[in-house]
Amino acid sequence: MAWCPSHVGVMGNERADLLAKEALSFTTCTIRIPSSDFKPITHEFFKEKWQEQWSSEQENKLYSIQPTLGKWAKSSREIRREEIVLARARIGHSHLTHGYLVRREMPPVCIPCQKKRDLSPSEEWGVDQQLISKLKEQYKRERQKGGKKGAQRPKRSTLQAMLANLGGEEEMNEANQEEQMDNNNIPDIDADDEQVSKDVMVLPGGPDDDALEAALGLGELAGLTINNEADPLSYEISATKEAFRKTWNAKYTLRSHFDGVRAAAFHPVEPVLLTASEDHTLKLWNLQKTVPAKKTASLDVEPVYTFRGHQGPVLSLVVSPTGETCYSGGMDASIRCWNIPSSNIDPYDSYDPSVICDTLVAHTDAVWDLAMHSAKMHLLSCSADGTVRLWNPGTKSPLLNTFRTEDSGVPTSVDFVRCEPNQMVVSYSSSNAYVFDIETAQQVTKLDGHLSEETGANSQINRLISHPTLPVTITAHEDRHIRFFDNNSGKMIHSMVAHLEAVTSLAIDPNGLYLLSGSHDCSIRLWNLDSKTCVQEITSHRKKFEESIHDVAFHPSKPFIASAGADALAKVFV
Amino acid sequence: MTGVQTIVRRNRPGTKATEWSNWPDEVFDEMDSTLAVQQLIQQAIRHDFGNIDEILTPPDGQDEGVWKYEHLRQFCMELNGLAVKLQNECNPDSCPQMTATEQWIFLCAAHKTPKECPAIDYTRHTLDGAACLLNSNKYFPSRVSIKESSVAKLGSVCRRVYRIFSHAYFHHRELFDEYENETALCRRFTIFVTNYNLMSKDNLIVPILEEQQDAGESEA
Repeated sequence: MAWCPSHVGVMGNERADLLAKEALSFTTCTIRIPSSDFKPITHEFFKEKWQEQWSSEQENKLYSIQPTLGKWAKSSREIRREEIVLARARIGHSHLTHGYLVRREMPPVCIPCQKKRDLSPSEEWGVDQQLISKLKEQYKRERQKGGKKGAQRPKRSTLQAMLANLGGEEEMNEANQEEQMDNNNIPDIDADDEQVSKDVMVLPGGPDDDALEAALGLGELAGLTINNEADPLSYEISATKEAFRKTWNAKYTLRSHFDGVRAAAFHPVEPVLLTASEDHTLKLWNLQKTVPAKKTASLDVEPVYTFRGHQGPVLSLVVSPTGETCYSGGMDASIRCWNIPSSNIDPYDSYDPSVICDTLVAHTDAVWDLAMHSAKMHLLSCSADGTVRLWNPGTKSPLLNTFRTEDSGVPTSVDFVRCEPNQMVVSYSSSNAYVFDIETAQQVTKLDGHLSEETGANSQINRLISHPTLPVTITAHEDRHIRFFDNNSGKMIHSMVAHLEAVTSLAIDPNGLYLLSGSHDCSIRLWNLDSKTCVQEITSHRKKFEESIHDVAFHPSKPFIASAGADALAKVFV
Repeated sequence: MTGVQTIVRRNRPGTKATEWSNWPDEVFDEMDSTLAVQQLIQQAIRHDFGNIDEILTPPDGQDEGVWKYEHLRQFCMELNGLAVKLQNECNPDSCPQMTATEQWIFLCAAHKTPKECPAIDYTRHTLDGAACLLNSNKYFPSRVSIKESSVAKLGSVCRRVYRIFSHAYFHHRELFDEYENETALCRRFTIFVTNYNLMSKDNLIVPILEEQQDAGESEA
């Protein structure tokens, strides 16, 4: 089962969802009527509404093509691919006209004849094929040469303005537009088109972009967006596309744990992953040491080292910024510090007890989350014993401070505020989160999502993460939401239903442009942090009881992402 | 949603150690996960790790290969606990060879040519090797159906990991007893391999079942 991510955050859908829930509380009618009797009535009612809107809408470019809504007369509805092509032909939807039809830009100009084209079918399809292919050739040549006159693409300044505006008002417009698109429900416009529009908007290909990209500091992630291989429109620009787009694909499957993998973390520079599992162990994986697998595209990796020391499930893991040590928190209430062996170690070498370098003892119950300060090398831990503790590992008395709050329950996740070195942010099982001043141990702000007002639903924060550069905290909730908070005001900036099930884990790419989330709905999702839209969804793990994905991770310096699952597997995507 | 509280079987962040997996049992027929057999085994162990009959009784119609495979995974996983304990007192000086009784020295099969590894290395290598084999995409690509030829591999894994029990029993008795009290793992393992004929009786040198009987008789 695959789930189409484009419906998340679409206001119309969310509203329908809400109304459906409200309807559950209505008084019920005791006379029994089969639902099949009601269906044609509602169907007719909605069709009328739709027609009304369709006819009354101004600037409805598609009205002339299909004034009366319904299926195309000659539609066979058998081969979807063909239907899509036909529908595009009917409505004049091509790569050139996409901006005009969907984003309401000016109609494209035909360069040779200098005519504006609104490309309604009557006009467009009278053109003789030879001319079209000639134009195509010319278009391609000009793209390759990098001629600026060739394509009707936005100018650099417009693009920069667009990027600057993203996340502000622009976002609202975009949402409205999306909603309208949805309401219009133009038959057979494929979801691909929406994706194409995003590609063009966020990451335009062309000669200027190298500079633009460098200016924005996008790095390797610049090319990251969705790419639908089946999109028939993309072949024309494939040459430029390769360089700028990135789709994450499963490449490595890490099998060796016997039970759920609770945490995964990358080495800061090497292609090396560490995992922590309910099977009491941690494992070290060198992605360059793969086992040749038969036929399949994905490679199997065997671990190069197994860390044994915890007495019970290992729940949390963090790798030091130097990549020399890692820290793991367990059900056994201990935090263990490990010297990470060389990733080229022989897996069957003799046991070196110095791998376990220290054990931090003070917590009295399961240690659920850890965070490391990149400069001070201080460690934060939160435990089911109700406390958050600050450590300076490797010193004689490593425990620096203990933080307690009253009436908020048990801490569930902790992180340093990345742009404010003296602050940390902690979430509690009550679904509250607080920013603390580390030195005074005082609460600075309460991140208030007003969640207690919602009825009974468990909105516990399973994970929180601090934005690498902005005073923003992002929270992953049991109630399927991801929420964004301003650390200074404590106000919620944004809230979205992000998954079909509890959201368990979050990771942000080093540049702060993309957010990765994992959920018990078996999928990981990649979000554009500016537009807060989902750019890719990957089904990654299977369920054990009602758990599926426990953790996600971004490599700090290489294009790798990872997911850790209740199915005892970890996966790495490139 | 109104009224009915559905049970969601999750260990959420913040769960206390005593509350871990502490949810009402799920009936096997209602488990729709591909990991249902593992779920069932772990559920039974959590119920009462001493009730070996309950743990080792397969549900009706259960594929025997999968049943044996999932149990062996669980054994290897729990043996990590014994290995952690051994790491603290078993070292190349105290135990330069993998032995149980004086009769045999066991060679470590993790290497290209079997090697006389110290007991602690033998223990770790054997568990690591078992983890690799039991998770191998070649032999065990699925946890729902397993080829006969792969099921045949389980016997040799059993034979090797059993030596960890026997080494602990004969050389680290205190530690072994402590562990056995917490888990009853050696007893369960012995009954398991006997039930499914995975090891010959001659190799089962830890007198765990006899002890149990003796204890039972003296109490009576």
